[in-house]
Parts: sequence; C-alpha cells; structure tokens
Amino acid sequence: MASGTNLSESLNPATSSEAVKRAELSEIDASTKIPALFFLCSALGWILIGTIFALIASFKMHTPGFLGDAEWLTFGRVRTAHLNAVIYGWASNASFLVIIWLMARLSRSLLRHPILLLTAGVFWNVGVTIGIYGILTGDSTSIEWLEIPPYATPLLFVAYALMGVWAVIMFRFGKSPHIYVSQWYILAALFWFPWIYSVAQIMTIWAPARGTVQALVNWWFAHNVLGLWFTPIGLASVYYFLPKVLGKPIHSYYLSVLGFWSLAIFYNWAGVHHLVGGPVPAWVQTAGIAASIMMLIPVVVTGINHHMTMIGSFNALRYSPTLRFIVFGAVNYTLVSVIGSFMSLRGWAEITHFTQHTIAHAHHGLYAFFTMVMFGAIYYILPRLLLKEWPSAALISVHFWATAVGSLIMVLVLTVGGFHQGLLLNTPKLANTLGLQPGTDPVPFLEVVRVMNKYLVSRSLSGILIFVGHLAFAVNVVWMLLKPRSAEVTAPTLFRNPPEMEVVTR
Amino acid sequence: MKTPDPREHNTRIEQAGASDESIQDVHAILAREKPEPHEGYSPMPLFVLGFVSAIIFIGAIYIVRHRAGFDPLAYDERYDPSMAATNAAPVKVDPIAEGKKLFMTCAACHQPTGQGVPGVFPPLVKSEWVNGSEDRVIRILLNGLSGPVKVEGNTYNNAMPAFGPGGYGWSDEKISYILTYVRQEWGNTGAPITPEKVAEIRKAVGQRKPWAAEELEAIK
Ligand code: HEC
Repeated sequence: MASGTNLSESLNPATSSEAVKRAELSEIDASTKIPALFFLCSALGWILIGTIFALIASFKMHTPGFLGDAEWLTFGRVRTAHLNAVIYGWASNASFLVIIWLMARLSRSLLRHPILLLTAGVFWNVGVTIGIYGILTGDSTSIEWLEIPPYATPLLFVAYALMGVWAVIMFRFGKSPHIYVSQWYILAALFWFPWIYSVAQIMTIWAPARGTVQALVNWWFAHNVLGLWFTPIGLASVYYFLPKVLGKPIHSYYLSVLGFWSLAIFYNWAGVHHLVGGPVPAWVQTAGIAASIMMLIPVVVTGINHHMTMIGSFNALRYSPTLRFIVFGAVNYTLVSVIGSFMSLRGWAEITHFTQHTIAHAHHGLYAFFTMVMFGAIYYILPRLLLKEWPSAALISVHFWATAVGSLIMVLVLTVGGFHQGLLLNTPKLANTLGLQPGTDPVPFLEVVRVMNKYLVSRSLSGILIFVGHLAFAVNVVWMLLKPRSAEVTAPTLFRNPPEMEVVTR
Repeated sequence: MKTPDPREHNTRIEQAGASDESIQDVHAILAREKPEPHEGYSPMPLFVLGFVSAIIFIGAIYIVRHRAGFDPLAYDERYDPSMAATNAAPVKVDPIAEGKKLFMTCAACHQPTGQGVPGVFPPLVKSEWVNGSEDRVIRILLNGLSGPVKVEGNTYNNAMPAFGPGGYGWSDEKISYILTYVRQEWGNTGAPITPEKVAEIRKAVGQRKPWAAEELEAIK
C-alpha cells in the first residue's frame, strides 16, 4: 500500500492508481452485498428481540409480579433467552457481517462462494431460533452461556464450520500481499470459536466431565466467548475503521503485533477467575488471576496504539458517526479490561462476586465496547453495500446518545450497586476490617434486597433508553433499505458538515 | 518514520464526492473514501517495554505467592506445604472419646448404661470378660460369641455378632478404641488395648465362626 507517498495522487485520487483500487473495492463490496445484508437483517432482528427480553427480565428484578403468570417468561427463562439472543443472535450475526465485509476487502478479492455463507447464515439463525424457543419452553441445559438445548447446537456448529471454511478459502485466494492486523484477529477468531465451542459442548453436555472440572470448562468457555470471539472481531473493526475514517496509518505495527500475541497467549487462561473462592484448587485460581493481570499488557498496548492513531484528530469525532461509535467502543475496551483485571483479584472478587457488579462488567464489555463498535462498523458498511446514504443524521444522533448514555448509566449504577450489595452481604467481615462492633451483623437478606431496589429500577430506566436507541437505529436501517437510490452524487450523512464540505471543488 | 501526508489534518472525513468523469462508474461513496488502512512503523515507546516487564514481574510474584504448593487438594491460597509439614503435630486421638462414639452400636444390645438386659444381653459393667484377659475380649469382638456363657454369675445363651472380618469389618483402631472405652468406663479397671495388639490377634485367628465360651476359657 503506497498511499500518501505520492503528492499528486493524494491530492487527486480520481486520476491515480487509487481510482483503480477504488473501482476494485466497489466491485468487492458489491459481491458481499447479499450475504452481508442477510447477516445485518438477522442481527437487527435479534438485537430488538434480545432487548425486549432484557427489559422483561430487568423489570422482574424490581417488580416480581410483572408478567408473573406467563410460564414462558419466568425470570430464569427470559434472562437466559436475553443472553442467548444477544450473544448468538445479535453479536454473532453482527460479527459475521463484519467478518464477511472485512475479509473480502482486506484480501482484495471478490467474495467467493456466497452460497456457503448463506447456508451458514440460515443454519445459524435457525439454530438460534430453535435454541431460544427451547429455552423459553424450559429445555435450557442450565449451563451458563451454553443453555441452548442439545437439539439445536449441532446446527450452530455446522454453520460455524462452513463459515470457517469460507474464511480460509478467502484468505487462500486473497490478492493482498500484506496481511493487515484486522485479518490476524478475524482469522484467529474463526479458529478460536469453534475450538472453545466444541470442547465446551463435549465436556459439559455430551460427555460431561466430572466434578469441578465441568465448572472449569464452563467458565473457560464463557470467558473465552468474549475474549477469543467478540474481542478479536471488535478489535479487528477498530483497527480497520479508525485509520480508514481518519485517513492515516495505524500508529505502530510493532504495538499491533505485541497486542495480538499477548492477547492470544494470556486470554484463554483467565476464565478461571470466575471461580475465585470456589471449590477449585487454589493454584488453578491463582493461574487464572495471574493471566488476568497479564491481560493488562494487550489492553494497554492496544489502547496506546489506538490513542496514538487518534491523536490530533479528535475534532473528527464531531462529524463522523462511524468514528464516534468506534472511538466510544475502543475507549470502553480499555476501561472494561482494566477493571476486569482488578475484578479478578481475590480481595476485590470477595466483595463483588455474585453481585450486580458482574452484570455491570458484562454489559460494559459486550455493550459499551463490542456492540458500539459493531454499530460504528454498520454505519460505514451499509452505505457501501446499498450505494445509498443514511436517511437521517438525527436518528443516528438519537441512536448514539441513547445507547452511549444508557450503557454508561447502566454500567455505573450496577457497579456501585454491586459494591453496595457485596459489602452488605459481607458485613461481619466488613465490620471486622473496619474495626466496628458487629452490631446488626449479618444484615438480613431481605434488607439487602430492599437496598438494591433503587439500583435495579435505574438499570431498567437505562435499559429503556438503550431500547429507544435501538429503535432509532432500526428505523434508520429499514428506511435506508426501502428508500430509492439517488442518481446524483451524494454527500455522506454526518452529524454536522465540516466547513470544508461546502467548497468541494475536486 | 512517517511520510508527510497532506490529508493528515484534513477534517473532511469521508471526503466529499469527486466529480471527475473518469470515475463515473465508481460510485461517489467509494470515491470519497480514504485509502485502505495500513500500519505505520513508529518504534515502540520505551515505557511500553518497562510496563510489560513490570506486569510480567507482578504476575510472576502473584503466582509464586499464591501457588499453594500447586497442590490439587489445597483450596486456600495461603496454604504453604513447607510450613504445613513443620506445624503439623502428630495427630492425637483420644481413644476414650472415640470409643464413646462407637459405643452407640453396642448400646443397642448392652444398653446405654452397659448393664445389659437380664437373661438376654449380658452386662459389660464389672464383667470379668471385659475387665479380664485382653486376648479373650479381643477375640469376642473380632469373631463374635455364641452359646452359653457365664457373666457375673448368670448364664446367658444368645449370640454376639462379629465386629472383625466377616462381620462389621471394623479396623484395628476402632476395635481398640471401643474396648479401651468399655474397659475404663463405669468403674471398670481393665488396661487400655492398643491397635497393635488387635492386629496381632486378627492375624493369628483370621476369619472364623463365633467363639464358644469354653474355647475362650482355654486361652489365657
Ligand atoms: C446384637 C446385639 C449385640 C451387640 C450389638 C453387641 N453385643 Fe456383646 N453380646 C451380645 C450377646 C447376646 C452376648 C452374649 C453371647 C452369648 O450368650 O454367648 C454378648 C457378649 C458380649 C461380651 C462378653 C460378655 C460380657 O457381657 O462381658 C462382651 C465383652 C461384649 N458382648 C462386648 C460388646 C461390645 C464392646 C459391643 C459393641 C462393639 C457389643 N458387645 C455389641 C450381644 C450384642
């Protein structure tokens, strides 16, 4: 890639080899259109369904009678349905969309075998639908993150295998001489996920390991879904869209390498920290905690790399929707990961484990980081697939502010609430450490429930805000799909037009 | 390291459409796009090296301090096998206390008071069998006793189950505890019985039918 080396080329892309490249890119984009739109629409459907499940579950936390007579919507089922709908429905479909589009673009080759992808997509979504239906009717396996009943999981696995085969073919026939960092993450994730998923399925459901080993496998898996599947896809997107939108290179190749390999080495050890204090050999927990501490390396290194790329261009956040979502996500990636490392420490986990704090962390990672990055990616990809502009900048604005503020409120409220809850549950110990007389210790459990109410209500409110954001997003997408393509040369839909936009004279 | 790029500080994000006719077939959205991303090669800042080393150091210290001897059975990270070896005193068991717990079994027949039931279960209190030769009483416990037996002047004709091989299968320790207990409770004056002694007799007689009183009387 020789961009920026030739002055005339930079000043006038239209007359340079850049133009050829662009023509090529437009063909590549067009070739991804059908499968990419399929995954986009599936993802959109699931995020709406998933959010509704989430709201029902959240209301039940403070108003237990809400929908209390509906057997299908009891808390245990609807919470689980929420988790699976957003993980396997929304987040994974969005990942597939980004994978398809980025893989095709980065390997500089037309999308091959769209049939393979569409088959995978159908299998995946049918599998998730049957799975969630199964969960709602009471067939959950009751193993966290693997609740989808065994009659649906083979469909997911087949879908995933097809996806992996496709990516390898794409990579094999790629024309790009250089493998860009986003591709490392995508390819790695495409191997990591089937690995963790099949091992976890076998060792917890088909031929369950005995005793605590089962719990170990369970949390090794659940943690790795985030770390070895969603995180790489999220980072691949940040690594692509940040420099793409800004038009400048990623700060340092060396930092990218260090960040990638340290993530690959340390992440998959860290899951055990979910079992801190549990009946698992102490040294295994220690290894998990040490790995969580080591995770500071990839996180900080990647954070520096992104920050140094951004530096000097923060002004651009005022204009570009893609950039704003991506940067919000990237900042939260750093935050959530650093907090996560601390949460694994024994002293911290003693207070926060089994409290709302964990829920805050999960949403911080999967929503404020991953989901926001996916939104950013979609804002960039969709106009290139449809060759239309986003119909409404106002709706994008609503989407951004509702989801950003909503997710931050949720994370904040539950983090504080979780600490409060944990301290109350731990009171004899707390009184001891503070040198107090353990007077009313232990606090009656019902009192703890009562105290938590205000946090839980605030969480529901933040959830409603997020749902409003999703609706704005959905309306914008559907509107865009339906609106006719403009024959004229169009301008991008930005939050506000940069001053130079008005004097385009190229 | 960095090549000067005139677009670097250009806030025209996703540059506005080009109108050149030569690219009519490339749509405006793509035409205005910035070039495909690539990596810069800024060297790694020195402090990153320091940071990475520091984290590795901290991680290593954490493992060393909380490794609990890498013992699969240690659930407390503060467990230290070397200290455990020096701190642990040889385990002391109180045979009387252990025996008292075990006596629940005997009490079903010999009664909690050890007085037995007249005509059915002989008493253990002041019994010459209990207080007498340890060779005999150990045999009664290991293999059982049946047929007529005279205890404190009264004759009983019943069956006492075996607690050794072929019976309840109690260990040498358990048998020594229960016998030590009954030989010292209720004003009884028998000497304590060691597990070694029980083991010796178990080895000598093995598994057999319950003893008859005359057989035992032949043994000292
Ligand atoms: C199932 C009822 C039963 C149980 C349980 C039982 N015994 Fe006996 N025990 C007897 C009977 C009956 C005799 C008398 C046997 C005979 O008539 O030949 C006896 C005899 C004895 C004798 C010899 C006679 C005496 O009274 O000194 C001793 C010693 C004795 N038992 C100790 C024990 C001890 C110790 C236990 C508990 C580990 C125990 N027994 C449990 C029924 C029982």
